[in-house]
Amino acid sequence: MLRSDQIMATVEMVQKENLDVRTVTMGINLLDCRGGDVHQTCQRVEEKIARYAKDFVSKCEEVAVKYGIPVINKRISVTPAALVGAGFGVEDFILLAQSLDNAAENVGVDILGGFTAHVEKGMTESDRAFIASIPKALAVTKRLCASINVGSSHKGINMDAVAMIGHTIKELANQTSDMGGFGAAKFVVFCNQPGDNPFMAGAIHGVEEGDVVLNVGVSGPGVIARSLERTINKRGRENFKLDDIAEEIKQITFRVTRCGELIGRQVSKELGVEFGVVDLSLAPTPKIGDSVGEILQILGVDDVGAPGTTAIVALLNDAVKKGGIFASKAVGGLSGAFVPVMEDAVLAEAVAKGALTIEKLEALTCVCSVGLDMVPIPGDVDAATISAIIADEMAIGMVNNKTTAARLIPVPGKKAGEIVSFGGLFGTSPIMKVRNMNKSSRFIAWGGRIPAPIHSFKN
Amino acid sequence: MKNKQFVISVMSKDRPGIIADITSVIFDLGGDLADLNQSVLGGYFTMILIAEFDSQVTVEALLSGFAEIISGTALEAMIKEIESDLELEKQGSLPSETFVVTAQGRNRKGLVKVLGDFFYERNINVLDLVTTSNDTLYTMIFQVDLSHIMSMGDLREELALLGREEDLELVLQHNDIYMATNEVGMTLDTIIGD
Repeated sequence: MLRSDQIMATVEMVQKENLDVRTVTMGINLLDCRGGDVHQTCQRVEEKIARYAKDFVSKCEEVAVKYGIPVINKRISVTPAALVGAGFGVEDFILLAQSLDNAAENVGVDILGGFTAHVEKGMTESDRAFIASIPKALAVTKRLCASINVGSSHKGINMDAVAMIGHTIKELANQTSDMGGFGAAKFVVFCNQPGDNPFMAGAIHGVEEGDVVLNVGVSGPGVIARSLERTINKRGRENFKLDDIAEEIKQITFRVTRCGELIGRQVSKELGVEFGVVDLSLAPTPKIGDSVGEILQILGVDDVGAPGTTAIVALLNDAVKKGGIFASKAVGGLSGAFVPVMEDAVLAEAVAKGALTIEKLEALTCVCSVGLDMVPIPGDVDAATISAIIADEMAIGMVNNKTTAARLIPVPGKKAGEIVSFGGLFGTSPIMKVRNMNKSSRFIAWGGRIPAPIHSFKN
Repeated sequence: MKNKQFVISVMSKDRPGIIADITSVIFDLGGDLADLNQSVLGGYFTMILIAEFDSQVTVEALLSGFAEIISGTALEAMIKEIESDLELEKQGSLPSETFVVTAQGRNRKGLVKVLGDFFYERNINVLDLVTTSNDTLYTMIFQVDLSHIMSMGDLREELALLGREEDLELVLQHNDIYMATNEVGMTLDTIIGD
């Protein structure tokens, strides 16, 4: 039986609040692609991706048209390349990177993630070669995204890797200096990296996964912002307390998640591919009205970064999870609100006003996903400072048993306050000021490991 | 002899006890209620039901049973004997290409007809329809079977044109979306038919 109030509520959400599915990501296992030499491996990689993903984009579009809900991004994640190419040298890894890039182009996918190594405890010679290959691999490819996991709650933080990565990021930015250091926007450093995250740049197909799987990232923050505005206006601000707002966010997230999973499962069914998880993250885009920062403003801070911001993000993040987890059969990935500075117009504006600082972003990452994301910093920040910022972020993830990440972009030749723009979904922002530069090199020089934290005595 | 099946339609001003009265008549004549649907609109109650009786029960016997109901409000009944087998098992399950068209516009005469004609011209079956209105805004929600529609793109364009011509806000959406967002107890596997 048709219930007009329910139907019209859904119509509002789909049509007026621009509900979409943020990403459908196909995870493909490449461990069985290893050949006798690098060329044979590359060939098998391209063949396998083509075999599984040849109809992926068209099926996503077909289902999106049927349901009248756009699927914004169609992407692929693969087994961490450091495993696929174990034993490779630097140049071999670059060939593998080019093959992955070709494979993505051949099936019409704009981004492929999984040029990745997991080195939270130790590094092999091959891992070191892999890390050394990252700057050139990302400079010579268009669609490839790289990530590295340098810490975990169980193994601690590999500070040798963290020290190397500071240089890698600078080198990566320098090799793409003609694009404002854009290469660094395609590289994320993780603690507790999940193997089923559908969002780039950190998507991988974990070794714990099956041969092929489809993961979905549900709609963006715009739906929640519009819906909150509408409900608050309708019922009157004076009739709302924060717990009412949390309840409202739960309700919206429930609906949004069910829609996202419906689309994902339908694509899975049509492709004959196992459905993996729904990632409940709120992923903003630079588009006006599609901002996490805007939700924080609606909830009561004039500028993102003002006192109260962390508490609001905690409320938002929790309410999104509660609504989404009940809605979905399988939740995974990152599942938290993202605060990517360049990709969120309101956050970028707060940076311009001086309201939002790196230190405040770091505080936000204690209560949400995913970390210091898309943070442009001056090109002259030293590698040790970059490594130390990453170490701080990794420590938050390690101690709190959560995923944290850092995607720092040292913009060559530019200083704090100058604007950097990558266009499209990667966005625009003023470059953030890095306080206390050149004061952490003695810490980074130690190397070794930060031991895993104790998992009891939680007081 | 074979039992008889009747479709019975009843309308009355709404009051407590209508269902008790109707089902008493059916029970007293030895009838077995198969399925029913009821609705109340603007203070009027209407019910359609299907019941099975022994072969000797007649339409006249049922009508006289309903006529004997003592009430301050008149109760009107229509009864029809069913000759062919009913497809009761199909009730409740919708065609896979069931869509919902919502239409909102300034309240005026002929709005339902506009959509009714549109669907009729394209041989589109309306499975369900509800309307609501307030002082100015009229809302219609049509559940339609689009199984035989060859081009959804064309249909969307035609609807968009109709919306502009008639000053109606028209939205076409798959029924699964409404099931997914509103039916908490229905799994997505069931909705997409796994």
